[in-house]
Amino acid sequence: MLEIRECTKRYDGRAVVNRVSFEVQPGEIFALLGPNGAGKTTLIRMITNILRPDEGEVRFLGRPVGGELRQEIAYLPEERGLYRRVRTVEALAYYGELKGMGRQQARERAMELLTRVGLAEWAMKQVQALSKGMQQKVQLCTALIGDPKLMILDEPFSGLDPINVQLLEDILRERRAAGATVLLSTHQMNKVEQQCDRALMINRGRMVLYGEVRQLRRQYAGNTIAVRAQRMPDRLPGVTAIEPLNGETMLTLEPHTAPRDVVQALLERGVEIESLAVASMPLEDIFVKVVREGLGLDRGQSGPPTVDEPVAVAAPRGGR
Amino acid sequence: MTLSFPRLLAIARREYLTTIRRKAFVLTVFGMPALWTVLFTMMIKLEAGESARALRNFHTLGVVDSAGVLAQAPPEIATPIDPGPGQHAAAPSQSLHAEVRFFPTVPDGDRALRAGQVDQLLIVPPDFMATGRLRQYALKSSLFSSSHDSPVAPWLVRGLLAGRVDSERIERAARPAEGLSLYRLNRQGEFELKDKAGELMDFFLPLALGMLLSIAIVVGGQYLLQGIAEEKESRILESMLCTVSPEELLVGKLVGLGGSGLTMVGAWVVMGSFVAAPVAMMARIHVPPLMIATGVAYFLLGYLFYGSLMTGIGAVSNNAREAQQLAFVFTFMNFVPIYMISAIIGHPDGALAVGVSMFPPTAPISMLLRLAAPSSAVPWWQIALSMTLLAGAGWLAILGAAKLFRIGLLMYGKTPTLPEMLRWVREA
Repeated sequence: MLEIRECTKRYDGRAVVNRVSFEVQPGEIFALLGPNGAGKTTLIRMITNILRPDEGEVRFLGRPVGGELRQEIAYLPEERGLYRRVRTVEALAYYGELKGMGRQQARERAMELLTRVGLAEWAMKQVQALSKGMQQKVQLCTALIGDPKLMILDEPFSGLDPINVQLLEDILRERRAAGATVLLSTHQMNKVEQQCDRALMINRGRMVLYGEVRQLRRQYAGNTIAVRAQRMPDRLPGVTAIEPLNGETMLTLEPHTAPRDVVQALLERGVEIESLAVASMPLEDIFVKVVREGLGLDRGQSGPPTVDEPVAVAAPRGGR
Repeated sequence: MTLSFPRLLAIARREYLTTIRRKAFVLTVFGMPALWTVLFTMMIKLEAGESARALRNFHTLGVVDSAGVLAQAPPEIATPIDPGPGQHAAAPSQSLHAEVRFFPTVPDGDRALRAGQVDQLLIVPPDFMATGRLRQYALKSSLFSSSHDSPVAPWLVRGLLAGRVDSERIERAARPAEGLSLYRLNRQGEFELKDKAGELMDFFLPLALGMLLSIAIVVGGQYLLQGIAEEKESRILESMLCTVSPEELLVGKLVGLGGSGLTMVGAWVVMGSFVAAPVAMMARIHVPPLMIATGVAYFLLGYLFYGSLMTGIGAVSNNAREAQQLAFVFTFMNFVPIYMISAIIGHPDGALAVGVSMFPPTAPISMLLRLAAPSSAVPWWQIALSMTLLAGAGWLAILGAAKLFRIGLLMYGKTPTLPEMLRWVREA
């Protein structure tokens, strides 16, 4: 498990990371979010022991990071490069050697990974002969070569075509299935919604959001459900607002009201429910809302909640 | 500072192999000695050719003897040709002959010179005996002015003494030190003959060793500087720093690139041995093994010092060009003893020589120059103190560089100022 406890880093007396604490479990894909300059890179550098926190500590597998734990951690920075005038397989095998492999073993593992990402035929070519996208895949391989228990990927999807995005998503799922911890820093919120279990958002060095992605989205949607039905009563118990939106009706529930209570109330009133879904706010809107609030700008500028996860679907119209 | 040996080895091996496989490296290893050989050969041939040409073109000397002291001077100047260093001294002696023509007045002599009837004109003023002043005129001046007066001086002696002293004494007075043999005390405490070849080697051996050491240190340092600046520029280092510590990266690079510097110097020494061995044997030159061992030790310590500095500079620079500009001052300091070579070899135990051989940035080259100087007897404690100071400075440099490395590698944009760098070193 990765544990970050009250980590603070200051530059020129200014805290760029301020008392940040969170945990990431094995087998979890965790998103690290935040606007540019929020302190994400500094936080990642502390996790990878490139920087040392001024206060607090970072532990992985129960031990402070650094020393031989380096072998268990891989980092793919946002701005990344490769040795250009060497063969691709050698550039990759070098990272394997640094991860403690023998020369032959590193070379074999490098070939295996190049085959996995579809670059086997480029193995003996110089890195500089590869296209940008190919180089990005090799860079990803440098993070994979030691089979790390913790992978930190900063904007791994940028510059990849849809096929390679899918390849990367498959690889991330494989790593998760193998019990590795994946920490993903990205501005592509749709990828976070699809891939990540939990997320942390920091702004100006401070934690502003932390929790399960699904839960955060529901929470920011204001405990709202979307109901599609032929008719809708004006009032319902435990519901504070009933508003039509795009052919559906958005029901804002009181904090302690559960969606099933609403279903029950609607059925009691003879309403035929075509569909019902818990509304959740797109992560991108949450991101914008939180950042704007942090800047002291106007509130409530984000778009309406969207419906993404049906929790109960009534019988089709005219059915049972 | 905890270092993992396998990781160090992997970094050092990569740096070494990548460097020695570069075309630029191979070109430097073979091209530099070739260039030096061509340049030296050209210089020696040019100098020898210039002297010989001056003598060959000297057929007639015009003389205006206003003092009236050369009435019985020989009508011809015979000049033996010096075979020069490196030539066979036993070769049959040759001489060039020039005619002497007297003119009654300076305007007569001047006209003859301008008309090309004489090659040079010597004016002996009336007060010559009292003042020793002479004037010599030539239409063309050769590069080396010494070639003009060398044949004239012995002729003057012969002219002044003719009829007053017997001919044997005149000949001896004309070239009194021709057969002078100079013996000097060698390092073994024995007097040995100092010949012209030995004299040249006394100067060139320390110069060659000093240059070799300076170039080795600078080349190794430059590879470090360039390598780190390029890696920083191409954003390779951040992902590596997750796997290896900055100290491992720093030491691995120092070892690998230091090895490539040694390889370069080793190749030069081997190639130079083939070329210079016959000359060295003829001049009875032998480089003491202790000097070689001391040279290697100074290379390692000097490289540690300069290499660490270059690493630190590479880490705080934004690109290779900026790194080169920042590193210039330190590279220059390494070469300072070469500029002081005459003072150091001439007075190897003087305050200046001792001072610069103790000061870490100039110590490696200065101490080697002192050790190679023919009349030197450097006390062992001075070598020990100099090495200790250099090792201490090298250690401080490596610690400072590691701290700059840790922070500087991740800094992009503005180049830090000196106070900022010092603060990083304190705070890292």
